[in-house]
Amino acid sequence: MSAIAAKPGANAGAFQPVASVIAIILAIIFIGVAYFLGNSGILAGGAMLPAQTLVGIIVGAALIAFGVHFVPVGGAPAAMGQSPGIATGVAMLATGAGLAGLFGGAWAASLGFGVALAGGAIGGGLMMAITCLMVNISYVYGMGIPAASGKVEKDPITGDSQAAYKSQGTEGHGLPFISYVGGVIGGLFGGLGGTLIYIELLDFYNASFPALNIAGEGASALAVGLAGIFAIGMFLVIAVLSAYNITGTIEGPHDPKFKRFPRAIVAAICASGICGLVALLVVAIL
Amino acid sequence: MSVKVEASHDGIPHNKVMGMGLILALVSLYIAVAASYAGIQYLAFFGGIAAVGALIWGNSTIKKLCSYGIGTGVPSAGMLAFGSGVIAMLFAAKLAVISPFIVPIAGLIIALIVGLILGWITNSVLNMKIPVMTRSIAELAAVGCLALMGLTVVATGHVTFAEITSINFEFLGVSMNFYDVSYIGAGIIAVSFMLGAIALQHPFNACLGPGENQDRINMLTIECGFLSMIVMAVISFAFVNSIAAWISLIIALIGWYWSYKKYFALSKRDAAAWLDAKPFSDAEE
Repeated sequence: MSAIAAKPGANAGAFQPVASVIAIILAIIFIGVAYFLGNSGILAGGAMLPAQTLVGIIVGAALIAFGVHFVPVGGAPAAMGQSPGIATGVAMLATGAGLAGLFGGAWAASLGFGVALAGGAIGGGLMMAITCLMVNISYVYGMGIPAASGKVEKDPITGDSQAAYKSQGTEGHGLPFISYVGGVIGGLFGGLGGTLIYIELLDFYNASFPALNIAGEGASALAVGLAGIFAIGMFLVIAVLSAYNITGTIEGPHDPKFKRFPRAIVAAICASGICGLVALLVVAIL
Repeated sequence: MSVKVEASHDGIPHNKVMGMGLILALVSLYIAVAASYAGIQYLAFFGGIAAVGALIWGNSTIKKLCSYGIGTGVPSAGMLAFGSGVIAMLFAAKLAVISPFIVPIAGLIIALIVGLILGWITNSVLNMKIPVMTRSIAELAAVGCLALMGLTVVATGHVTFAEITSINFEFLGVSMNFYDVSYIGAGIIAVSFMLGAIALQHPFNACLGPGENQDRINMLTIECGFLSMIVMAVISFAFVNSIAAWISLIIALIGWYWSYKKYFALSKRDAAAWLDAKPFSDAEE
């Protein structure tokens, strides 16, 4: 069924001004609710901490949504060598990159904010770099197909011509250099965003636990567990919404579908607003 | 932009499947919650039944949603469902400080609210223009929430936030709360997250295409649900007493074996031809 959907209509890339404005207003309302709940003492840490945390989560989500658009997702056609990209769906790829980054960032969380974010970004980028390399090895040496993009005549970075290597009846195949670079950039953004969400939630939970009388043996492990599962959940929601935006497959930053990313960022801001608010409410003082 | 591909029309309409799955899930969850409130651990297996009910509902929704080409494949719907479901489920568990009996219904309502907003974003901001999108994503979030709640009940016997975030030990006469060995502190929720998400997205993904039949998909859903329940029942040895864990495990094994046999028979029924291949050919013949 996804094969039919791979041919989107003409207006699929159009920006929706009215809906986008409503979405942004909704996100601002969610931040306002977090501020109000912090001010009235339902959320711990005073008025500013919940609002700050939610803003951090929203920024992280926007980074994830932006990053997903760089990743060369091929889907089922790529598995048959009929279109460029990595032969699986966005949900799997972004999750792999994001979670690799999240683990990297989580290990470095005790070393400070900046180190943790850098660790997360490098973790995600490294995971995508290795994936892209092994994908190209299996394409070139396993399936015997060269890397060629179907969307551009020349590779925007190296200037290599693409059309001559493209097989007839396909949209290109393999992972051209620009797609590889896009994959690594996407992994960097995804890991960075996932780690940002995780660290913001972790700090907030650690600040909230004393008010909930959660202290003593393993309270920090509980904060890690809660922040981790929420970061994973939110990451998946944002990644799937971004996947809907690109209707499944994209070649990388040179693909015309890449220009749709503002919509995904607006969607991610609103979606992470509601998800993040509920995640903050889990440690509400009732 | 979307082309509707008709999945099979036979069998029970979606609303009826949804109603049956929802009632099965909620009734089972309430039995489990009441048992945990009364201090009986032996009824924790009802959580698995609740998960199966929610998954049957979810598969019908996924079938409806994915009959419009969403372009990202069926698994993404399962991931979205559990990504939003886990958030709603934990917040509902937190509301147990009011009363443990509001947890299942609160989870359902919170998940529907979160899902409606996500569905509206998908349809309006992302311009998917799929008529059933908003409703389907709301339903999927509710399914994710209820299925995860069910698996949580199998593993721990409880749905309340206090019980799934800490384990109370009597040690030298002093009662102590340990957080790092709890369901969430030890990260077991991540296991149930993935087990539930795979059980939700697999059946339709495996059965779609020509010759797809509702009863076969539902049987595969039940099989996947019980398969996830087996793992959660094994994990439950760490949280509930061993007799309750054995009850859950045996019920999960029986349910899985029964549904697997049924699914196998239905696959044979729907197959064009059946060759009973043997792993080793007899050299003499």
